[in-house]
Amino acid sequence: MPHAGLKTIIALSFVLAIGFLLVILSSALYGQYSPLLVVATYLFAPLPNAICSRYASSYNDDFMDSGSSASGVLDLGRFLTGFLVTMGIALPAVLAHADVIQWGAMAMSIIGGLLIYGTIIAFTMFFQEESDF
Amino acid sequence: MSSRLFRFPLPSATALRTFGVYSSGGLFALGIWFFLDAAIVSKYANASLIHVRFVDWIPSICSILGMIVINSIEKARLSAESFSFSGSNDAWKARLVLFLGFALMAGGLAGSVCVLVLKYVVPGYEFPTLYFGVANVVANSLIMLSTVVLWVSQNFEDEYNYNLAL
Repeated sequence: MPHAGLKTIIALSFVLAIGFLLVILSSALYGQYSPLLVVATYLFAPLPNAICSRYASSYNDDFMDSGSSASGVLDLGRFLTGFLVTMGIALPAVLAHADVIQWGAMAMSIIGGLLIYGTIIAFTMFFQEESDF
Repeated sequence: MSSRLFRFPLPSATALRTFGVYSSGGLFALGIWFFLDAAIVSKYANASLIHVRFVDWIPSICSILGMIVINSIEKARLSAESFSFSGSNDAWKARLVLFLGFALMAGGLAGSVCVLVLKYVVPGYEFPTLYFGVANVVANSLIMLSTVVLWVSQNFEDEYNYNLAL
Protein backbone atom coordinates (compact mmCIF):
# COMPACT_ATOMS: atom_id res chain seq x y z
CA MET A 1 0.00 0.00 0.00
CA PRO A 2 1.33 3.44 -0.85
CA HIS A 3 1.49 5.95 1.92
CA ALA A 4 -1.66 8.06 2.10
CA GLY A 5 -1.00 11.63 3.02
CA LEU A 6 -2.80 14.92 2.89
CA LYS A 7 -2.05 15.33 -0.80
CA THR A 8 -3.86 12.10 -1.57
CA ILE A 9 -6.97 13.28 0.22
CA ILE A 10 -6.91 16.61 -1.61
CA ALA A 11 -6.38 14.97 -5.00
CA LEU A 12 -9.12 12.42 -4.38
CA SER A 13 -11.58 15.09 -3.32
CA PHE A 14 -10.74 17.09 -6.46
CA VAL A 15 -11.40 14.06 -8.64
CA LEU A 16 -14.64 13.39 -6.78
CA ALA A 17 -15.73 16.99 -7.26
CA ILE A 18 -14.93 16.83 -10.98
CA GLY A 19 -16.92 13.62 -11.29
CA PHE A 20 -19.95 15.14 -9.57
CA LEU A 21 -19.56 18.28 -11.70
CA LEU A 22 -19.62 16.23 -14.91
CA VAL A 23 -22.69 14.26 -13.85
CA ILE A 24 -24.59 17.34 -12.70
CA LEU A 25 -23.62 19.19 -15.91
CA SER A 26 -24.80 16.26 -18.01
CA SER A 27 -28.19 16.58 -16.34
CA ALA A 28 -28.51 20.34 -15.99
CA LEU A 29 -27.20 21.36 -19.42
CA TYR A 30 -29.93 19.41 -21.17
CA GLY A 31 -32.70 19.88 -18.60
CA GLN A 32 -33.18 16.12 -18.21
CA TYR A 33 -32.27 14.83 -14.79
CA SER A 34 -32.24 11.07 -15.31
CA PRO A 35 -28.39 10.80 -15.58
CA LEU A 36 -28.30 11.53 -11.85
CA LEU A 37 -29.25 7.88 -11.37
CA VAL A 38 -25.65 7.04 -12.29
CA VAL A 39 -24.44 8.62 -9.05
CA ALA A 40 -26.81 6.44 -7.03
CA THR A 41 -25.61 3.35 -8.90
CA TYR A 42 -21.95 4.04 -8.25
CA LEU A 43 -22.56 4.97 -4.62
CA PHE A 44 -24.34 1.65 -4.10
CA ALA A 45 -21.72 -0.35 -6.03
CA PRO A 46 -19.21 -1.04 -3.20
CA LEU A 47 -22.01 -1.69 -0.71
CA PRO A 48 -22.80 -5.39 -1.43
CA ASN A 49 -19.12 -6.24 -1.33
CA ALA A 50 -18.65 -4.55 2.03
CA ILE A 51 -21.75 -6.08 3.59
CA CYS A 52 -21.00 -9.57 2.32
CA SER A 53 -17.35 -9.53 3.34
CA ARG A 54 -18.31 -8.39 6.82
CA TYR A 55 -20.97 -11.08 7.01
CA ALA A 56 -18.53 -13.74 5.80
CA SER A 57 -15.87 -12.71 8.31
CA SER A 58 -18.38 -12.96 11.16
CA TYR A 59 -19.54 -16.24 9.72
CA ASN A 60 -16.06 -17.69 9.84
CA ASP A 61 -15.35 -16.55 13.38
CA ASP A 62 -16.52 -19.78 14.90
CA PHE A 63 -14.45 -22.46 13.31
CA MET A 64 -17.34 -24.87 13.33
CA ASP A 65 -18.58 -24.50 9.80
CA SER A 66 -16.04 -22.85 7.58
CA GLY A 67 -17.46 -24.50 4.53
CA SER A 68 -18.25 -22.99 1.17
CA SER A 69 -21.27 -21.06 2.47
CA ALA A 70 -19.17 -18.06 3.41
CA SER A 71 -17.44 -18.07 0.03
CA GLY A 72 -20.85 -18.25 -1.59
CA VAL A 73 -21.86 -15.11 0.27
CA LEU A 74 -18.63 -13.40 -0.80
CA ASP A 75 -19.28 -14.38 -4.40
CA LEU A 76 -22.78 -12.94 -4.20
CA GLY A 77 -21.35 -9.63 -3.05
CA ARG A 78 -18.78 -9.57 -5.84
CA PHE A 79 -21.39 -10.54 -8.40
CA LEU A 80 -23.68 -7.70 -7.30
CA THR A 81 -20.79 -5.23 -7.30
CA GLY A 82 -19.83 -6.20 -10.84
CA PHE A 83 -23.47 -5.94 -11.82
CA LEU A 84 -23.82 -2.43 -10.40
CA VAL A 85 -20.56 -1.16 -11.94
CA THR A 86 -21.57 -2.38 -15.39
CA MET A 87 -25.05 -0.96 -14.83
CA GLY A 88 -23.53 2.46 -14.22
CA ILE A 89 -22.07 2.36 -17.74
CA ALA A 90 -25.07 0.69 -19.35
CA LEU A 91 -27.73 2.97 -17.90
CA PRO A 92 -26.69 6.20 -19.69
CA ALA A 93 -26.10 4.25 -22.90
CA VAL A 94 -29.62 2.82 -22.74
CA LEU A 95 -31.09 6.24 -21.95
CA ALA A 96 -29.21 7.79 -24.87
CA HIS A 97 -30.24 5.02 -27.24
CA ALA A 98 -33.88 5.54 -26.27
CA ASP A 99 -33.58 9.29 -27.02
CA VAL A 100 -34.34 10.16 -23.41
CA ILE A 101 -30.98 11.98 -23.05
CA GLN A 102 -28.50 13.34 -25.58
CA TRP A 103 -25.29 11.51 -26.55
CA GLY A 104 -23.18 14.29 -25.03
CA ALA A 105 -25.00 13.86 -21.74
CA MET A 106 -24.31 10.14 -21.96
CA ALA A 107 -20.56 10.68 -22.42
CA MET A 108 -20.37 13.18 -19.57
CA SER A 109 -22.34 11.05 -17.14
CA ILE A 110 -20.33 7.91 -17.95
CA ILE A 111 -17.01 9.70 -17.45
CA GLY A 112 -18.25 11.42 -14.30
CA GLY A 113 -19.58 8.18 -12.89
CA LEU A 114 -16.30 6.38 -13.56
CA LEU A 115 -14.42 9.20 -11.81
CA ILE A 116 -16.72 8.93 -8.78
CA TYR A 117 -16.37 5.17 -8.61
CA GLY A 118 -12.59 5.38 -9.11
CA THR A 119 -12.43 7.81 -6.19
CA ILE A 120 -14.35 5.41 -3.96
CA ILE A 121 -12.10 2.51 -4.97
CA ALA A 122 -8.90 4.53 -4.50
CA PHE A 123 -10.11 5.78 -1.13
CA THR A 124 -10.80 2.29 0.16
CA MET A 125 -7.44 1.11 -1.23
CA PHE A 126 -5.52 3.90 0.49
CA PHE A 127 -7.28 3.81 3.83
CA GLN A 128 -8.01 0.14 4.28
CA GLU A 129 -5.11 -0.34 6.71
CA GLU A 130 -6.48 2.08 9.28
CA SER A 131 -10.11 1.11 9.05
CA ASP A 132 -9.61 -2.63 9.10
CA PHE A 133 -10.02 -4.27 12.52
CA MET B 1 7.86 -17.48 -5.52
CA SER B 2 11.19 -18.48 -6.96
CA SER B 3 10.27 -21.71 -8.72
CA ARG B 4 7.70 -20.56 -11.18
CA LEU B 5 7.32 -21.89 -14.65
CA PHE B 6 6.87 -18.73 -16.70
CA ARG B 7 9.00 -15.63 -16.57
CA PHE B 8 6.06 -13.29 -16.12
CA PRO B 9 4.03 -13.68 -12.94
CA LEU B 10 0.76 -15.51 -13.45
CA PRO B 11 -2.20 -14.40 -11.34
CA SER B 12 -3.02 -16.68 -8.45
CA ALA B 13 -6.10 -18.89 -8.39
CA THR B 14 -7.92 -16.71 -5.88
CA ALA B 15 -7.26 -13.57 -7.91
CA LEU B 16 -8.50 -15.30 -11.05
CA ARG B 17 -11.56 -16.48 -9.18
CA THR B 18 -12.33 -12.99 -7.86
CA PHE B 19 -11.91 -11.52 -11.32
CA GLY B 20 -14.13 -14.24 -12.77
CA VAL B 21 -16.94 -13.54 -10.33
CA TYR B 22 -16.74 -9.78 -10.93
CA SER B 23 -16.76 -10.22 -14.70
CA SER B 24 -19.64 -12.65 -14.43
CA GLY B 25 -21.66 -9.96 -12.68
CA GLY B 26 -20.65 -7.51 -15.39
CA LEU B 27 -21.68 -9.88 -18.18
CA PHE B 28 -25.00 -10.49 -16.44
CA ALA B 29 -25.64 -6.75 -16.19
CA LEU B 30 -24.69 -6.35 -19.86
CA GLY B 31 -27.19 -9.02 -20.86
CA ILE B 32 -30.01 -7.62 -18.73
CA TRP B 33 -29.41 -4.11 -20.02
CA PHE B 34 -29.28 -5.23 -23.63
CA PHE B 35 -32.78 -6.57 -23.23
CA LEU B 36 -34.00 -3.60 -21.18
CA ASP B 37 -32.55 -1.37 -23.91
CA ALA B 38 -34.77 -3.08 -26.46
CA ALA B 39 -37.79 -2.68 -24.19
CA ILE B 40 -37.10 0.98 -23.43
CA VAL B 41 -36.38 1.83 -27.07
CA SER B 42 -39.60 0.09 -28.00
CA LYS B 43 -41.45 2.33 -25.54
CA TYR B 44 -39.78 5.68 -26.16
CA ALA B 45 -38.16 5.78 -29.60
CA ASN B 46 -40.10 3.32 -31.68
CA ALA B 47 -40.18 3.71 -35.45
CA SER B 48 -42.80 1.06 -36.06
CA LEU B 49 -45.99 -0.38 -34.62
CA ILE B 50 -44.24 -3.51 -33.35
CA HIS B 51 -43.55 -3.35 -29.61
CA VAL B 52 -41.74 -5.51 -27.08
CA ARG B 53 -44.52 -7.46 -25.41
CA PHE B 54 -44.58 -10.06 -22.68
CA VAL B 55 -43.68 -12.76 -25.21
CA ASP B 56 -40.25 -11.15 -25.55
CA TRP B 57 -39.79 -11.20 -21.79
CA ILE B 58 -40.37 -14.93 -21.32
CA PRO B 59 -36.95 -16.18 -22.61
CA SER B 60 -35.03 -13.76 -20.38
CA ILE B 61 -37.10 -14.73 -17.34
CA CYS B 62 -36.36 -18.41 -18.07
CA SER B 63 -32.64 -17.69 -18.44
CA ILE B 64 -32.45 -15.75 -15.17
CA LEU B 65 -34.37 -18.44 -13.29
CA GLY B 66 -32.06 -21.07 -14.77
CA MET B 67 -29.00 -19.09 -13.71
CA ILE B 68 -30.31 -18.79 -10.14
CA VAL B 69 -31.06 -22.52 -10.00
CA ILE B 70 -27.70 -23.59 -11.45
CA ASN B 71 -25.61 -21.41 -9.18
CA SER B 72 -27.58 -22.17 -6.03
CA ILE B 73 -26.50 -25.80 -6.03
CA GLU B 74 -23.78 -26.86 -3.65
CA LYS B 75 -21.06 -28.04 -6.00
CA ALA B 76 -19.77 -30.69 -3.60
CA ARG B 77 -23.07 -32.56 -3.89
CA LEU B 78 -22.62 -33.21 -7.58
CA SER B 79 -19.89 -35.81 -7.45
CA ALA B 80 -21.27 -39.28 -6.87
CA GLU B 81 -18.33 -40.52 -4.88
CA SER B 82 -18.74 -37.80 -2.27
CA PHE B 83 -19.26 -39.17 1.19
CA SER B 84 -22.82 -38.65 2.39
CA PHE B 85 -24.06 -38.89 5.95
CA SER B 86 -27.61 -39.81 5.09
CA GLY B 87 -26.93 -43.31 3.88
CA SER B 88 -27.83 -43.28 0.23
CA ASN B 89 -26.11 -40.75 -1.94
CA ASP B 90 -28.05 -37.61 -2.74
CA ALA B 91 -26.16 -36.84 -5.91
CA TRP B 92 -29.18 -37.60 -8.08
CA LYS B 93 -31.16 -34.79 -6.42
CA ALA B 94 -28.46 -32.27 -7.18
CA ARG B 95 -28.19 -33.59 -10.72
CA LEU B 96 -31.94 -33.38 -11.22
CA VAL B 97 -32.03 -29.77 -10.04
CA LEU B 98 -28.98 -28.98 -12.18
CA PHE B 99 -30.68 -30.52 -15.17
CA LEU B 100 -33.76 -28.38 -14.52
CA GLY B 101 -31.54 -25.29 -14.38
CA PHE B 102 -29.75 -26.11 -17.61
CA ALA B 103 -33.07 -26.92 -19.27
CA LEU B 104 -34.44 -23.52 -18.20
CA MET B 105 -31.35 -21.78 -19.52
CA ALA B 106 -31.25 -23.62 -22.83
CA GLY B 107 -34.98 -23.07 -23.14
CA GLY B 108 -34.42 -19.37 -22.64
CA LEU B 109 -31.80 -19.20 -25.38
CA ALA B 110 -33.86 -21.32 -27.76
CA GLY B 111 -36.94 -19.29 -26.96
CA SER B 112 -35.18 -16.04 -27.74
CA VAL B 113 -34.10 -17.39 -31.14
CA CYS B 114 -37.66 -18.59 -31.62
CA VAL B 115 -39.05 -15.13 -30.86
CA LEU B 116 -36.50 -13.56 -33.19
CA VAL B 117 -37.44 -15.84 -36.06
CA LEU B 118 -41.20 -16.04 -35.57
CA LYS B 119 -41.91 -12.46 -34.57
CA TYR B 120 -39.31 -10.46 -36.50
CA VAL B 121 -37.63 -12.41 -39.31
CA VAL B 122 -40.54 -14.29 -40.85
CA PRO B 123 -42.78 -11.19 -41.21
CA GLY B 124 -39.75 -9.50 -42.80
CA TYR B 125 -39.11 -6.45 -40.62
CA GLU B 126 -36.16 -4.15 -41.29
CA PHE B 127 -33.42 -3.32 -38.86
CA PRO B 128 -34.67 -0.81 -36.28
CA THR B 129 -37.46 -3.25 -35.49
CA LEU B 130 -35.32 -6.33 -36.00
CA TYR B 131 -33.05 -5.00 -33.25
CA PHE B 132 -35.60 -6.02 -30.60
CA GLY B 133 -35.22 -9.66 -31.55
CA VAL B 134 -31.44 -9.49 -31.98
CA ALA B 135 -31.05 -7.80 -28.59
CA ASN B 136 -33.12 -10.57 -27.04
CA VAL B 137 -30.80 -13.26 -28.43
CA VAL B 138 -27.70 -11.29 -27.38
CA ALA B 139 -29.11 -10.82 -23.87
CA ASN B 140 -29.82 -14.50 -23.40
CA SER B 141 -26.38 -15.47 -24.76
CA LEU B 142 -24.72 -13.05 -22.37
CA ILE B 143 -26.66 -14.42 -19.39
CA MET B 144 -25.59 -17.93 -20.40
CA LEU B 145 -21.97 -16.79 -20.76
CA SER B 146 -22.16 -15.15 -17.35
CA THR B 147 -23.41 -18.41 -15.84
CA VAL B 148 -20.56 -20.33 -17.45
CA VAL B 149 -17.97 -17.85 -16.19
CA LEU B 150 -19.40 -17.97 -12.66
CA TRP B 151 -19.47 -21.77 -12.69
CA VAL B 152 -15.91 -22.11 -13.97
CA SER B 153 -14.49 -19.54 -11.58
CA GLN B 154 -16.22 -21.18 -8.63
CA ASN B 155 -14.68 -24.48 -9.56
CA PHE B 156 -11.27 -22.81 -9.61
CA GLU B 157 -11.51 -22.33 -5.87
CA ASP B 158 -12.28 -25.95 -5.16
CA GLU B 159 -9.15 -27.00 -6.99
CA TYR B 160 -7.16 -24.42 -5.07
CA ASN B 161 -8.44 -25.65 -1.74
CA TYR B 162 -7.73 -29.19 -2.77
CA ASN B 163 -4.13 -28.27 -3.54
CA LEU B 164 -3.84 -26.55 -0.19
CA ALA B 165 -5.23 -29.53 1.64
CA LEU B 166 -2.77 -31.98 0.17
